[in-house]
Amino acid sequence: MEIELKEIDKNRWLIPKSGNMRVPGMIFSSPQLIKGLLKDQSLAQVANVASLPGIVKQSLAMPDIHWGYGFPIGGVAAFDIEEGIVSPGGVGYDINCGCRLMTTSLTLDEIKPDIKELISALFKNIPAGVGSEGHVHLTKKDEAKVAEEGAAWAIKQGFGQIDDRERTEDYGALPGADPSTLSERAVKRGLDQLGTLGSGNHFLEIQVVDRIYDEKIAKLFNLSEGRITVFIHSGSRGFGHQICDDFLKEMGKEAHIKNIQLPDRQLACAPITSDLGKRYLSAMACAANYAWANRQILMHLAFETFLSTLTISPRDLRMRLLYDVCHNIAKMETHNLDGKDRSLCVHRKGATRSLPPGHPLLPGIFQKTGQPVLIPGDMGTFSYVLAGANGAMELSFGSSCHGAGRLLSRSMAIKTAKGRSIYRELEDKGIFVQSRGKETLKEEMPEAYKDVSQVVDVVHETGLATKVARLRPLGAIKG
Amino acid sequence: MGDKNSQDYILLDHTADMGFEIKGADPAELFKKAGQALIHIMFGAVPATGADKVKVSLKSYDLSDLMVRWLTEILYLFEGERLITTDIIVDSLSHETIDATLMTSPFDPLKHEILREIKAITYHQIDVIQKDGIWKARVIMDL
Repeated sequence: MEIELKEIDKNRWLIPKSGNMRVPGMIFSSPQLIKGLLKDQSLAQVANVASLPGIVKQSLAMPDIHWGYGFPIGGVAAFDIEEGIVSPGGVGYDINCGCRLMTTSLTLDEIKPDIKELISALFKNIPAGVGSEGHVHLTKKDEAKVAEEGAAWAIKQGFGQIDDRERTEDYGALPGADPSTLSERAVKRGLDQLGTLGSGNHFLEIQVVDRIYDEKIAKLFNLSEGRITVFIHSGSRGFGHQICDDFLKEMGKEAHIKNIQLPDRQLACAPITSDLGKRYLSAMACAANYAWANRQILMHLAFETFLSTLTISPRDLRMRLLYDVCHNIAKMETHNLDGKDRSLCVHRKGATRSLPPGHPLLPGIFQKTGQPVLIPGDMGTFSYVLAGANGAMELSFGSSCHGAGRLLSRSMAIKTAKGRSIYRELEDKGIFVQSRGKETLKEEMPEAYKDVSQVVDVVHETGLATKVARLRPLGAIKG
Repeated sequence: MGDKNSQDYILLDHTADMGFEIKGADPAELFKKAGQALIHIMFGAVPATGADKVKVSLKSYDLSDLMVRWLTEILYLFEGERLITTDIIVDSLSHETIDATLMTSPFDPLKHEILREIKAITYHQIDVIQKDGIWKARVIMDL
């Protein structure tokens, strides 16, 4: 499929409407990053999404766009809630995969000698890897409460503090979660996976604030150079995977019965107003809430591990949640289109919400700064904290990028890493990593990803979010 | 399911995820080989020593959808039931149904090495076709 690209300015490329596209596509990128997109099918995926019923304005791609399945990773698409669709493939299998960042009062000098021991202790205390089971074993009744209450359920069990909720996107719970929409298999898979990190690109990382770009906002975010932070990337585990599977099957069958031609079967979808669409959104909310409870528990496990390993008091550690964001989700939001407020279902598939200062959905603590936008790098490079900016409301339905974005396929990464010890290379850079999966370190090696600083620069320059601080990795645990 | 699996499928490069292609003389062989490829990607060579039979009966509307459902079933047996499929007997297969007997073994971390977690079998570019008398399938997995 030949895709026409028109350069709008140095950070935006338009895919003009053609064929079945209902709206144009828009890629946020840079002259350097856009070259990489011409080699795979990610631009065709932007065009495919543009053909879905009820899509408004543009089919968008953030600068970390890469070839996904159905939607591109880094894709953002908004649909009219009366005429549009919701697509499980536009959310992804790992519903509410997301990030959370904690600040501490520790400095690099204070804990440098303990990093290796801390990583070992975190690796021991936090279940990670394929199908790992957590410390929390739920009854079906409790699982239903997790699905409805999200982070609040975990806080009630003693994991974290009550005001963590306002430091979590949507206060840690999407409304409309209905456990009666879940299959037996989804329920079963959710019982033992709470408080687990998962595998693949999921991680928990100890970092140091390495550079401040915006002193004023950084201060309000409790970030200062030399301070230690802890970053978590995880999602809804097998519970979310099963829900996505269940509804893709059902929506694919429906499309077959109604003879609806899809450009890719992974784009199976249902009208938002249909029974099937509503049931998916209710089940998706269950998984989103499960993921928030999961990251809340993971944070607490990290907190306890820091206390016991460093033998310090909570007062001396002062580990506080800065914010928790999701980057695989579909949400009902109000956006201004052509001067009118419209109710839209915004799909973010590998994209982070980015609300500017003064937005009504933000709690008081972020009214002046905008929402913290958390962008993880990879094991060897920096992560970034940004703040939501007005450009996102004008250009991207309040969205920003979600990470570096893969550059090499996993098999190519393994080939590139042949004969090398990635563990040793990282250790030489002062980064201690422990992972469960045999191939994880090779697949997740730094060269497998785009340069996250280039991705973040595009976001900053286009005004989708403002750079606040850069975080340098010191050690990580991976699945 | 021994080492021969590694030659019975071709891994496909996909930036975010991973896929594989298989060939078979007929749909039954194709489905068997696809199941074996999935197990090999997840666990490497697994000895065919599983003694617990699991009967699988699936219905669909075409072979491509049936392939996704079939592999998803094998994946679920591990993810949901902690059973590793060690051998596959396709009892019958039509354009829309498959009946199979899976020989399985309970997952034992001391005996089985997990090479890779697969989140799901996707519908992205799923393709089951017959060309020049050979049956072929392409499957993309979410990792």
